[in-house]
Amino acid sequence: MTTTPFLSIRGVAKRYGAVAAVEDVSLDIAEGEFVTFLGPSGSGKSTTLYVIAGFQGPSVGDVLLRGSSLLRVPSNKRNIGMVFQRYTLFPHLSIADNIAFPLKVRRRSKAEIDARVQAMLRLVRLERYAERMPAQLSGGQQQRVALARALAYDPPLLLMDEPLSALDKKLKEEIQFEIKRIHNETGVTILYVTHDQEEALRLSDRVALFNNGRIEQVGSGRDLYDAPATHFVAGFIGNSNFLPAKVASASGAAFEAVLPDGSRLPGLTGARLAGASLAGAGLKAGDDVAIMVRPERLTITRGDDMAAGLVPATVTATTFLGDVVHVLTRTSWGGEVSIRLPCDGFRGEPPQTADKVRLGWPAGAARIYSAP
Amino acid sequence: MLLDFDRLGWLRYALCLVAVLVGLFLLLPILLIVALSFGSSQWLQFPPPAWTLKWYGQLFADPEWLTSFFVSLRIALTVMVLSTVIGLMASFGLTRGRFPGRELVRALFLTPMVLPVVVLAVALYALFLRIQLNGTFIGFVIAHLVVALPFAIISICNALERFDIAIEDAAIICGASPLEAKLRVTIPSIRLGVFGAAIFSFLASWDEVVIAIFMASPDLQTLPVRIFSTLRQDLSPVIAAVSSILVGFTAVLMLLAAFLRKDKPS
Repeated sequence: MTTTPFLSIRGVAKRYGAVAAVEDVSLDIAEGEFVTFLGPSGSGKSTTLYVIAGFQGPSVGDVLLRGSSLLRVPSNKRNIGMVFQRYTLFPHLSIADNIAFPLKVRRRSKAEIDARVQAMLRLVRLERYAERMPAQLSGGQQQRVALARALAYDPPLLLMDEPLSALDKKLKEEIQFEIKRIHNETGVTILYVTHDQEEALRLSDRVALFNNGRIEQVGSGRDLYDAPATHFVAGFIGNSNFLPAKVASASGAAFEAVLPDGSRLPGLTGARLAGASLAGAGLKAGDDVAIMVRPERLTITRGDDMAAGLVPATVTATTFLGDVVHVLTRTSWGGEVSIRLPCDGFRGEPPQTADKVRLGWPAGAARIYSAP
Repeated sequence: MLLDFDRLGWLRYALCLVAVLVGLFLLLPILLIVALSFGSSQWLQFPPPAWTLKWYGQLFADPEWLTSFFVSLRIALTVMVLSTVIGLMASFGLTRGRFPGRELVRALFLTPMVLPVVVLAVALYALFLRIQLNGTFIGFVIAHLVVALPFAIISICNALERFDIAIEDAAIICGASPLEAKLRVTIPSIRLGVFGAAIFSFLASWDEVVIAIFMASPDLQTLPVRIFSTLRQDLSPVIAAVSSILVGFTAVLMLLAAFLRKDKPS
């Protein structure tokens, strides 16, 4: 049985002359989901959102809401809510009138409008500000009003285009919490654009990571962190170390790689290690690859005991951070590798600058990608 | 700042003195006219031997002056409304439109400001003679509209360029049609620019004299034209009284414009 997805983005591309802002984006979103478009600026995430809002027409592709195409529907008839990056409250209207605006445009009765405005003010906890003018509110409050205005007409879909990017960190977290609560209370489907990965991980059910006008990977924050599908995802989400290597031999799902200093990394096997797709893509001897290990998955051993670790390195800095110790090392070929150790993660004294150490990782902690 | 007022030392006083002198030079003739309109001397003697309101009495007793006042008012109000409406539409086109030659069109709209007025007046006179608009109310309005429109366009374009179009987009996604969004959100948001356009359009017509002299007919004379023609026959303090009213009207509107600007710097 196939069910119609709530929102379906199908092969959307947007080109300006020879430049493509969006190359090819397809994604299905379920009702009530909170999906974030994450990516560096210029990766096409906002443009995709503007196509859904109807401010931009796609060059090709389609957007379907509950199975019917939105493209022929003008923006004002799409019944979509939107919160913008810039402050967009109507400057000549009070807060209450701003929230009432979409309802007045829809010719709702006065009683209904009044009740709805009150409910929305309650939702964003700004009841006391009903009669203020937008210029009298702080940035965070203005965005909360914008949220209330966008939800006043009960849209099935809410688009948010970097709504918090102008706010400071503390305020940001406060409003993120509000947004999460409002999502839970209203059950509205939210498409959220941000370049802040922490924000994306904190808010969303699923994250779509954009790069160069395409979605690199879609999944929960956990998926993206633990099993990044591409080199870009691994580098963008969280901290990561990339070790350059050459495939020495490959047979089936097993690889042996050689690091620039000649140390061999045998037994790089298993789907979790390399991403099964790479084996399928025909990785063969002589190929350049990058081995990715998260700083907190690396282990560190002092001395030259070959059995204790895989990669020889020299400690260049050790920083005590309370719960963890951050150790920076340099490999013999000059690559920097950073390690985060829990304070009880080593026996005896923590590593000191200029110590010779060997770095290792437990089975399954490394992933391998074609060199970018 | 390079020229910090607080750091100028004694130069500050020199600067203030120059500013005051320039201000006096510009304003004294006007103040003199206003003073003379209250003076009792038939020959505009200064200082006046005594103060009186009789010239104002004479002025308001003369129906010709009143007729001219209302002709001026009617023309200026009509020009104000048309100039603001046309200015709004033109400004939307000039700031939002993406078409080849946009800058050329903008320059064309603004040329009446730099063109010698007398050239414009002669050209319009020649044209209106041919199409029989000379000495008509419509002819007057069209001619003054040419002079007033650049003021309206500059004022509204400035306001529109400062207005964040995302606010209009927000109104549209809220359910307002593009026209509704402009009428209910954009135009109210730039209302100060629109008021400014209206005031300056009114004034551009209200105290315009060069074109008006060409356009006027014996039964259609604006106030500045009547002042000018009366002045050539005799020098009566009544003219000082009319001038004072003209100046007073203008000053009130300029103050209103300044007040609006100060009220909200956006």
